[in-house]
Amino acid sequence: MSVEVSIPADLWEGDSDAVITTWFVNDGTSVKAKQLLVEVMTEKIQHEIHSPGNGKITILKQVDEVVGKGDCIARVS
Amino acid sequence: MAIKERKLTIARAMAEATAQEMRNDETVFVMGEDVGPLGGVFGNTRGLVDEFGPDRVRDTPISETAFMGAAVGAASDGMRPIVELMFVDFFGVCFDAIYNNMAKNAYFSGGNVKVPVVLMTSTGGGYSDGGQHSQCVYGTFAHLPGMKVVVPSNAYDAKGMMIAAIRDDNPVIFMYHKALQGMGWLGTEPGATVHVPEEEYVVEFGKAKTVREGSDVTIVSLGVGVHHSLKAAKQLEEKGISAEVVDLRTLVPLDRDHIFESVKKTGRLVVVDEDYQSFGVTGEIITSVVERDVSILKAPPKRIAYPDIPIPFSPVMEQWALPNPTKIVEACLKFNI
Repeated sequence: MSVEVSIPADLWEGDSDAVITTWFVNDGTSVKAKQLLVEVMTEKIQHEIHSPGNGKITILKQVDEVVGKGDCIARVS
Repeated sequence: MAIKERKLTIARAMAEATAQEMRNDETVFVMGEDVGPLGGVFGNTRGLVDEFGPDRVRDTPISETAFMGAAVGAASDGMRPIVELMFVDFFGVCFDAIYNNMAKNAYFSGGNVKVPVVLMTSTGGGYSDGGQHSQCVYGTFAHLPGMKVVVPSNAYDAKGMMIAAIRDDNPVIFMYHKALQGMGWLGTEPGATVHVPEEEYVVEFGKAKTVREGSDVTIVSLGVGVHHSLKAAKQLEEKGISAEVVDLRTLVPLDRDHIFESVKKTGRLVVVDEDYQSFGVTGEIITSVVERDVSILKAPPKRIAYPDIPIPFSPVMEQWALPNPTKIVEACLKFNI
């Protein structure tokens, strides 16, 4: 079973795009629920995204890639 | 099996170290411009005011003269202040408190007054912020006796050196490079964001680290220069040259033995530094080898430092002046190894 890591719709106001600035884990490592996974930045403000569950992470969007609300950026399985 | 790991940016590593020491010791407090709710312009006090409150994480007015003096006074009276000089370039307005009081009071008092200040400050350019927001001035602080000077190149060292700095009874200048900090708007060198243990640990001052082994040439650097050097070493490997890279980690104390032993092995030395060239870090590193035994060198040492000019605002001109991997590779190729 796998859970998607996606950008929450309420992470920032408005519909501007964001860019991934830091992954705090490497692809393929094991992560715990609520662990800090990634930071995304929009308009110079960084926002944190935490793990939705326990398991092995597969990173789908890399640092410097542009992402929008609702985009799936990783999977935890 | 999946490996468990937890990477941190240098900014987060500094904040975590500070929080852990604030829990251990109630005399530790933080002071500076925008260190409170904003969490520091460069992110290194993020979350602290939420846990420790505004008495221990104090936003100051924009007066370095006042709050640097306050830090020296508080430290002399038994507190352990961590004070932030947002850009090192602004040391000019508060340097009397730093180099005449903070650095010297322990000596003037015959050791009776300790001044355990941690002065954390951002260094470096590369993002077109002009000549008064982009300097490193490592050599300026390292030149004046009485202060320890540390320059981390990665988050692991940053946490261990921050804890060591807070526990140290002497003033420590903690110089973090903006390009390593993990602030998205500045761009970040990915090699600085590494695995960091959750528990407390200390990285001892005065211990340089060989971050890449090699046999033909030693490249000595610090901070962001370590990452330039590692990239250069990779390119040199493709050309058949084996480069060793040494990360100084601290300028005061300086691990001269480590530098000497590495150059003794390779016979060649290149020093990479983003501070100004003349009267600075590069000259001191070279001297620490040649004044001990010049016969270990197979060729004259080389240095890649900032030219002796104020840092240009123009992106083209600034990038021309900065050290980079290409300049390091070219310098090493001139050895004709």
